[in-house]
Amino acid sequence: MHKRLSLIPLALLPLALALGAGTAGAAPYPLTLTDDLGRRVTVRAEPKRIVSLLPSTTETLCAVGACDRLVGVDTFSDFPQAVTRLPKVGGLYDPDIEKIVALRPDLVLVSKYGKLEGPLTQAGVTVLAVNPETYDEVFSKTLLLGRIVNREAQAKTLVLNMKKDIARVEILTKNAVRKPLTYVEVDPAPYSVGPNSFMGVLLSKAGARNIIPASLGDFPKVDPEFVVKANPALMLGLDLKTARSRPGWNSIQAVKTGRVLDIPRDLNLILGRPGPRLPQALRGLARLVHPELFR
Amino acid sequence: MALPAAPRSRHLGRTAALVALLLAVIVLAVGLGSVRLAPGEVLGALWRGLSGAELAGNDVIVWQIRLPRVVMGVVVGACLAVCGGAFQGVFRNPLADPYLLGVASGAGLGATVGIVAGWPRGSIPLAALAAALAAVTVTLALAREGRRFPPTRLILAGVVVGSVLSAFTTFLILRGEDRARQVLAYTLGDLGFSGWRDVATVLPYAVLGCGVLIGLGRALDTLQLGDLTARSLGVPVERLRLLVVIAASLATAAAVAYVGIIGFVGLIVPHVVRLAWGANHRVLLPVSALLGGALLVLADLLARTTPLSQVGVVTTLLGGPFFLWLLRRGRDE
Repeated sequence: MHKRLSLIPLALLPLALALGAGTAGAAPYPLTLTDDLGRRVTVRAEPKRIVSLLPSTTETLCAVGACDRLVGVDTFSDFPQAVTRLPKVGGLYDPDIEKIVALRPDLVLVSKYGKLEGPLTQAGVTVLAVNPETYDEVFSKTLLLGRIVNREAQAKTLVLNMKKDIARVEILTKNAVRKPLTYVEVDPAPYSVGPNSFMGVLLSKAGARNIIPASLGDFPKVDPEFVVKANPALMLGLDLKTARSRPGWNSIQAVKTGRVLDIPRDLNLILGRPGPRLPQALRGLARLVHPELFR
Repeated sequence: MALPAAPRSRHLGRTAALVALLLAVIVLAVGLGSVRLAPGEVLGALWRGLSGAELAGNDVIVWQIRLPRVVMGVVVGACLAVCGGAFQGVFRNPLADPYLLGVASGAGLGATVGIVAGWPRGSIPLAALAAALAAVTVTLALAREGRRFPPTRLILAGVVVGSVLSAFTTFLILRGEDRARQVLAYTLGDLGFSGWRDVATVLPYAVLGCGVLIGLGRALDTLQLGDLTARSLGVPVERLRLLVVIAASLATAAAVAYVGIIGFVGLIVPHVVRLAWGANHRVLLPVSALLGGALLVLADLLARTTPLSQVGVVTTLLGGPFFLWLLRRGRDE
């Protein structure tokens, strides 16, 4: 699976490069667009020194072949391997603005939750907030990032390949005979995910039925007895021992049959990263929901 | 006492009404939730459990989830209200609440350390309890003047210890960003996973702590005349103060460790009781226990059936305006 993911883009590279070269003549700069903070921003020339403050943005830039333009990343960016050697400029709550400015970036890509755009803009740096949150936005933001770094063709190819890989999983899960009623715990408070959230969409594509209705919102705090009443056949995101220790949870079907599965660390990491590894996240989730389909 | 009491019969009537309210709130709270049960069904389920019949269907929800949660609400609400009343009495300060000496920030820090370090969930209340008691010990050590614990020094030391510990908690939250939500849920108070075992752990501390405080009612009344007068009337003022602080901190620390930091109950309940029952501590403390229990169960009911979702949010959001209204009404009369 790893192999295939890396081989396909490689095979298409010459074609993509040709396409890229084709559009390069009509270079889209200066490029003016509205970012995720609702600001009108102009990118004057093709960015050559980029600082990314979101792990998903870092992954997307590398996946469209702009990895060598990165001069700095946030502390959580750890994929692909190449970015781990770049200077770290802090996280969402503790960004090191001076360090960012000292890297002399011509573009800083931020999330819409930090407060970086003010001070960085004042320091004369171009700042764009690009922040995919829903399933569909993963694709639209990938294309947008491709446009911003003049790798539009590669971005289109990437999206095409991601959709192909997703379809391969969906073909299996769509026709699954039974789709287990599932409870996902993203935090032991307990918080779960609604069907319209990024993870909720992946869950239904993985062939599970979410016990959380859309009316509860995207990240609802769940009343424990609601879970007991819904009686899911599968619970993800906690271990069996924890589930057993909760008052009344022994009567839940998933606890009785032992279908309570902690999400492995690696999978959890990509599930929280709306980026190019989305198909891998979906496949991992589908494996947990329908182990019988992936033998 | 210097405090003229209302006619005894009126007190009895009001207290009986309060007991009835508490029982009604308990039945209501056990009946409402994700599954709705009529009061008759609740009583039926309670009866079936008591008679030792096998639990099935909704009986599981009643006995294993809602009842322990409701009982925990009664115990913690009562505890916070009694401790708040005793602190207001012993410090002769209407702003005192059970968290005055750093119990809450200590518990918050203990729980945060456990959560951020990824300790097993069962050990988190223990960490909170240990840290809460340690925080009070530090406050007492800082406030000590020879063998005396002057109230002003106690309050100041409590505020400083609280601020320092809260700052440290915030620092840890920022370090462990991905667990911030869990810490937040704890610091806003949550009765969500209270089971019988938790109730059984908190209950001894609560009974012991509140029992001692209620037993000290007469001495607290005398203390209202001032340290000097109380001393001349034979009240060992310093020992009384230390005893109240220890008893209240023990009970509060146990409660906070298991359900998180629930604000306002300990502050406003004694004031409400004072408005209707007078300031006699022998009446004030037990009645505060009844009202505190009923209010917290109601607040938790709102927390789990509305999007407010955290009991601490409900108590502060609704408790604050309600209390202001009560104060204004009292003034107009």
